Amino acid sequence: MLSPERLALPDYEYLAQRHVLTYMEDAVCQLLENKEDISQYGIARFFTEYFNSVCQGTHILFREFSFIQATPHNRASFLRAFWRCFRTVGKNGDLLTMKEYHCLLQLLCPDFPLELTQKAARIVLMDDAMDCLMSFSDFLFAFQIQFYYSEFLDSVAAIYQDLLSGKNPNTVIVPTSSSGQHRQRQVLGEASMEGVEASLFYQCLENLCDRHKYSCPPPALVKEVLSNVQRLTFYGFLVALSKHHGINQALGALPDKGDLMHGPSLDEELERLVVRSRLHRTFAAHRAKEKQGLWLSEEETSPEALERVPSASVPHSTPY
Amino acid sequence: MDCQTEVNCGLHLVIQTSSLPEKNKVEFKLNKDTPSFPGRLLQHDLERNYSSRQGDHINLVSSSMPSFPILQRSSEEKILYSDRLTLERQKLTVCPIIDGEEHLRLLNFQHNFITRIQNISNLQRLIFLDLYDNQIEEISGLSTLRSLRVLLLGKNRIKKISNLENLKSLDVLDLHGNQITKIENVNHLCDLRVLNLARNLLSHVDNLNGLDSLTELNLRHNQITFVRDVDNLPCLQRLFLSFNNISSFDNVSCLADSTSLSDITFDGNPIAQESWYKHTILQNMMQLRQLDMKRITEEERRMASILAKKEEEKKRENQKQSLLKEKKRLTINNVARKWDLQQRVANIVTAQDRKDSDSPSQDPCQIDGSHISASPEETGSLDSGLTSALQGLSVIDSHLVELDGDTLSLYGSGALESLDRNWSAQTAGMVTTVSFTFIEFDEIVQVLPKLKIKFPNSLHLKFRETNLVMLQQFNALAQLRRIDQLTIDPQGNPVVNFTLWKYYVLFRLSHFSMQKINGTEVTQNDMIMAERLFGILAHVASSELPQYRLISILGDARKKQFRYLLETKGKKPGIVNEENNDSKRLIGENTNRATLNYTTRDFYNERLEEIKEKKKFCKMYIEDLVKEATEINMKNEALQKLWPQMFIELVRDAVIEIRNKNSYMKLCLQQITDQK
Repeated sequence: MLSPERLALPDYEYLAQRHVLTYMEDAVCQLLENKEDISQYGIARFFTEYFNSVCQGTHILFREFSFIQATPHNRASFLRAFWRCFRTVGKNGDLLTMKEYHCLLQLLCPDFPLELTQKAARIVLMDDAMDCLMSFSDFLFAFQIQFYYSEFLDSVAAIYQDLLSGKNPNTVIVPTSSSGQHRQRQVLGEASMEGVEASLFYQCLENLCDRHKYSCPPPALVKEVLSNVQRLTFYGFLVALSKHHGINQALGALPDKGDLMHGPSLDEELERLVVRSRLHRTFAAHRAKEKQGLWLSEEETSPEALERVPSASVPHSTPY
Repeated sequence: MDCQTEVNCGLHLVIQTSSLPEKNKVEFKLNKDTPSFPGRLLQHDLERNYSSRQGDHINLVSSSMPSFPILQRSSEEKILYSDRLTLERQKLTVCPIIDGEEHLRLLNFQHNFITRIQNISNLQRLIFLDLYDNQIEEISGLSTLRSLRVLLLGKNRIKKISNLENLKSLDVLDLHGNQITKIENVNHLCDLRVLNLARNLLSHVDNLNGLDSLTELNLRHNQITFVRDVDNLPCLQRLFLSFNNISSFDNVSCLADSTSLSDITFDGNPIAQESWYKHTILQNMMQLRQLDMKRITEEERRMASILAKKEEEKKRENQKQSLLKEKKRLTINNVARKWDLQQRVANIVTAQDRKDSDSPSQDPCQIDGSHISASPEETGSLDSGLTSALQGLSVIDSHLVELDGDTLSLYGSGALESLDRNWSAQTAGMVTTVSFTFIEFDEIVQVLPKLKIKFPNSLHLKFRETNLVMLQQFNALAQLRRIDQLTIDPQGNPVVNFTLWKYYVLFRLSHFSMQKINGTEVTQNDMIMAERLFGILAHVASSELPQYRLISILGDARKKQFRYLLETKGKKPGIVNEENNDSKRLIGENTNRATLNYTTRDFYNERLEEIKEKKKFCKMYIEDLVKEATEINMKNEALQKLWPQMFIELVRDAVIEIRNKNSYMKLCLQQITDQK
């Protein structure tokens, strides 16, 4: 904890890097907003709860978009929350449109902007037929890349555009000797082929990562992605990023694609579900009894019913 | 009724039409004039038996003209019946030349086969001409008969009324049983009293002006559909319209204006089959004394007026209803139009916003700017079409509220204010369905508390063209007391296009145990599926939120409810308790879902605005704190650095001081005395 690097940074920079101030400000703001309610049970307790929730990643639930976007940790927590809340939708196998995913996002964040969802959808659909249906996992990983690294991706897009049109952004900034030769080669009509050359692209990205204040994917992994191909398009690059599980792990918000549908809370969920639905059925049965004076079959109380409810055997009901 | 001539052998001729009063008996005197014919050859055209009573004395002699027989009577005959001549059933095909009978006043050609009226021009004293039952196709050859008073042309083949110009004294004109299609050329017959046009091919009655003496008009057995000009007949007393094609009183409305009519028949017409026939006729024709040959009693008249009044009222009622319906339809059209415009404007605005925020450098691929088909000309043309229709009605509202038994329908956002009205407990209690059309859902959300209180039994909500776009909006419905059925019309509600919307509704509003959504029953499987899909969300929303967030979110909802209660006037204490119970129950049943709220976009933005101030303050405050902290930290660090040196100096100073014990003691003592 008390590593020397930590002490090496001056105060403000350290605080800024860890976004401590953001959380402090937000905590005080929340305190001010809910003065009456919080004063009842103590300010110390409030701060404890607040920072606990920050650690757990639940602080972003139902918060405004500006807060969720504020720090990488917030973004990661949001992604995780989204995954956990709607994993069942994915498990059910429903394919949804971009608008519907956006709706689900809005359930957790009321003012989530549509542009981000659209951009994420573009990655999945390779910018084609925006009304297509997408699977949950595809969307989730694309969304992760788009949301977590949104500023980085914007810059990458700019770079790509420049490269496509023949300009090399590196000419101004990076004074390495090799780039000069590359520059000359590049000027000779590369525009006719699709996309850009991978290695050149990587160099620009590397420079970007170095000078970028925002979070970037680890350059080594980016290099890995780019080393497989000779040329690539912008969306091709993004798709590769989203599918790369190394980057996913580096982010740390979501599990690997294979484990997406599983999770430790699965069992918990099942149990809860069963109990709830059983309660509902008995409640409905009571109402029905009152109304019609009939008894439902003894199904509802038998223990076998509890086992029959689990996900695998419930038929996928047809959409309305 | 046919005009029958019954010739008496006596001194006078009685024309027995029952309609003629006694005074018009035509009397004929016997004329003893016997004109002679200069040497004409008479020809026997037909030598068959003479069946008429007076035929025996008549010789039909062939003449020099090949087709016409010449008629000659014996001088006794001429003396006996000098002014009448009967040639009934003589099998005549042509009119014979009648010589030497210039004083003839009655001529009877009944039951023959005559095709043309000829050879009677010289009989200028003729008063009575009977050509009943012949084959005459055209009225002609009458132009010299200026004294003619009775012309009987029944049962012929006449197609047109014509050539009657000189018959100004005509009293009775009988044209029944012909093929006449039109009443014409009778306008000069100002002495005509009886006109018989029964059994013809008339389809309408008009052109009757000028018949100033007409008392009886017989139009039975025609195809008449409407009657006109009858009010121009000042003397008309009897009108027979039986067995025609009259179906409505409007088609014979001129009858109401005739003051002289006392006797009318309509039997055999479609109008006579109607339920309102009798009293309508009686009501409109107060002057009548007989209808369909039956006297009209006082009782009947009274009944008629009562029934007619009822009819009038019913008609007025219907008219009012249709006017109301029309107004309603136009209002709804108006509301729809406004809604449409609103939506288009909103779309343009959002599209433009998006375009602004999308700077071209961000996306390397080409974006076709969103295709906005907003054309003011389009809306303009729509407007002009409707406005011209609307100009007919004087008042067009911009919203409509309709209460129809158990359904309350609201069109247009202005209609939401009607919820403030004082609805009687009974009417409000009967309402089970509330339907919203052309109103923004966000606006509806704001009046849901009012709805809950004023219409406690509303169990079925319908939304059409209400701009439901997010699943979140359904959260707002949770605050109601109960919903059994929900209908979200796909028109104007994009949310229906989502695959999961019904499950979300079932999940969020599970405490209502809804029966039907959009007409389909909610099954057990649906509920389970809904739980499966969104159960975690509820779990997260309740258990993983920190306590203070829970309280603040729930507190918000409760605060809103209380605020509304404080605002309503005339609330009863009972309701307030119910409210508390409701909210308690709500929270008890569904704590895990209660945090899923919906605030309308406007409210949300408002709140964010409000928070900005606080955020600024917080930022400044924290900055100050940080500054302080870093200063202190700096100072601390500096101190840490300097402390060893300082400590050494302190120690050195102290040691130097104490080196000489005596002088130190003196110094301390001095210091103490100085202090005092």
